[in-house]
Amino acid sequence: MPIERAEPARPSRRDPSARGRLSGLILTLVVLWPMLQTSGFSLRPLFDADNLKVIGGFLAQFLPPETSGEFLAYLGQATLETLAIATAGMALAFVIAVPMAYLSTGAARERVTLNPIARSVLTILRGIPELVWALVFVRVFGLGPAAGVLALGLTYGGMLAKVYAEILESTVPAPAHALRASGAGRIQALLYGLLPQAAKELTSYTVYRWECAIRASVVMGFVGAGGLGQLMDQAMKMLNGGEAASILLAFMLLVAAADLLSWWLRRALDAAPAARALPFGWRTGTFVLTACAALWASMRLLDIDFSALFTADAATSMGDFVRGFFPPDLSRPWLLRVLQGIWETLAISIVGTLLAAIAGLLLALPRWRAPWNVVLNVLRSVPELVWATITALAVGLGPFAGALALALHTTGVLGRLFAEALQNAPAAPANALKLSGSNRLLAFCYGTLPGAAPQLLAYTLYRWEMNIRMAAILGFVGAGGLGQLLYFELSLFHYAQASTVIMAMLLLSIAVDWSSAALRRAMR
Amino acid sequence: MSFMLDDVGLTHSNGFTALSHISLSAIQGESIALIGPSGAGKTSLLSTIGTAYLPTAGRMQVLGRTAAAQSAARELKALRSRIGTVHQAAPIPLRQRVVTAVLAGKLGQWPLWKALASLAYPQDIAGAREALARVQLEDKLFARCDQLSGGQLQRVGIARVLYQQAGLILADEPVSALDPALSQATVQLLVQEAAARKATLVASLHAVDLALANFARIVGVRNGRLAFDLPAAQVSEAQLQALYAHADGSPADLPMLHNRLAQRDPASTTPAPIQVNACR
Repeated sequence: MPIERAEPARPSRRDPSARGRLSGLILTLVVLWPMLQTSGFSLRPLFDADNLKVIGGFLAQFLPPETSGEFLAYLGQATLETLAIATAGMALAFVIAVPMAYLSTGAARERVTLNPIARSVLTILRGIPELVWALVFVRVFGLGPAAGVLALGLTYGGMLAKVYAEILESTVPAPAHALRASGAGRIQALLYGLLPQAAKELTSYTVYRWECAIRASVVMGFVGAGGLGQLMDQAMKMLNGGEAASILLAFMLLVAAADLLSWWLRRALDAAPAARALPFGWRTGTFVLTACAALWASMRLLDIDFSALFTADAATSMGDFVRGFFPPDLSRPWLLRVLQGIWETLAISIVGTLLAAIAGLLLALPRWRAPWNVVLNVLRSVPELVWATITALAVGLGPFAGALALALHTTGVLGRLFAEALQNAPAAPANALKLSGSNRLLAFCYGTLPGAAPQLLAYTLYRWEMNIRMAAILGFVGAGGLGQLLYFELSLFHYAQASTVIMAMLLLSIAVDWSSAALRRAMR
Repeated sequence: MSFMLDDVGLTHSNGFTALSHISLSAIQGESIALIGPSGAGKTSLLSTIGTAYLPTAGRMQVLGRTAAAQSAARELKALRSRIGTVHQAAPIPLRQRVVTAVLAGKLGQWPLWKALASLAYPQDIAGAREALARVQLEDKLFARCDQLSGGQLQRVGIARVLYQQAGLILADEPVSALDPALSQATVQLLVQEAAARKATLVASLHAVDLALANFARIVGVRNGRLAFDLPAAQVSEAQLQALYAHADGSPADLPMLHNRLAQRDPASTTPAPIQVNACR
């Protein structure tokens, strides 16, 4: 037979990778066990009859949603305010991001010299969560939307600049190089060589971020920065379920509308341009006009007195405030507390992500997809912090409430991403197995899952990365971790201690950035 | 009787009639080649025998069981576990290990617990090794499928069917993605192994010479109907010309193993790179 002969070396009788798998499993359990302990993971409160009655009673209060005219007027006002904070915050972020991206990116430079100063400023801007910025600004500028807008602007400015820089760096550099070689300056090379290729991705990401900003601006209300979040915080503190339900509904509608709008905008980007001298069509015109009008309306609605923010008075109070944070408290016992907080934050994020990955996979199974789609959307459109206020009531204050809240929101996100990944996995293997008599479950395990697994893992890691950041701030509503420490210390005006916690958050965020980049390189 | 089709027709839900008035039967252990121009209905016929499609007209019996649209799902599942299919491109996830891919042949016969346990630790290493030895791939037992060449992957697909110990083996263009030398060897292997197990083999083949050289019985399919059904020695040149003639009756070249124009390599279809939104 002309088929090449087998090599004489016979493989072993046992599975050679069994030992590796077993030790991997044991290692996982050894790491996971203390994590579960720390996060206070326990199924008991979820099955305890008394507790269930309490939760049931609480959820029953959600019905019917509050619909009195007076409340609805408040609700409408708060919804508009949320939208306005998101829009104004994004405008500020954009203004920060464009020059920062230009300074920090290596794109269209003749020699690749990354600007380390711009890069570190960006790292600090986006490494400190927007909620922490908001908390700090509320102390300086008082309660109200100004703190929210500034906080959003700074964090999202940092994020946008980093992603803009990355997008520009990953577009094909040849056109820009050619332009520079024929004497064009860096800005010309960017505008003529890189921007045409990258424009779609840049716009699409900006629109997507605006959608994220709406979610974030809701959350910032919890520290007194206005909008739907503030209303929600009040309703939950007064255990007014009906109002909370109305707010949640309004919020879901808002998120769904933003989703739809951003989907429409991204689709419009695919339309081919008309053949005429002016490259902008009616869509671009409408978009620009609408964006400007929205910004103007937002500024009017929020009525922020910017001149008051930049007076000598504000500057001194800001300076005094910032000075309070230095030097940070680096005493041994406090560092130990902070370390414990970091550990707790990690535990919350890991347990929450793991629960979400399991639940998300179950809900994404093809058989159950249709009826669960609605559930996934509801889970996804309520932010983690809002879930945390609810889970804290269900299982008590503490890290487990945080892990559950993360799990609920992340289940919605991962369920949807998983469903897409499973749909895109090659269908032939599973179909072939069904044809040789295997049932759906086994065809899925042997045929679909191996093909989709890398994508599922990548999504889970990416969410875990986001959840570490989120776990750090869930403590603001009493769900453990670094956030709880920070909230306490700021409430007690212990700025030196708070500054240590903020630095820990920054370091954690940098570590996550760094390790996820390394992981992604390893998986490529 | 291995299978028996009596005046079978297949009309898809979109109204397209893929097969009509097909009467074909085989005794256990026969090896049959299906030939005909592309779009003639070879794949539809194989899929019908394999119960992937159920006849919309006529009667069909496979391995002693009646298979019809009203058959119970459980019965069909039991029947399908005795039918093995070799596909054009081996339907195996590239990140799966060879041993798991081969053992998957018995998923329809194993109890659920065993199939799930086998994901953690292969439950029948000796059986998988034996099947792989038949296709000269014993040394790849614990390799991952993405480390194999296209021809090796196709042989893993054959090993899976051998491991399944199917009473009826269907092969849908099993070698159309392989080079001529490998095609000849692979078809020989299929015919030999099926004969050694007294399994019935039905293979659709693109290359006429390959079919005539290796199979005892040749079935010509054209326009969803049987054109002829003869022992290989009795198939005449005129019958072949008529089978492959253009729609207007003008003669066309017979597809042969060595005059194929385009070669495709299934191993070159690498999976798409992993992508994650840059959302931070």
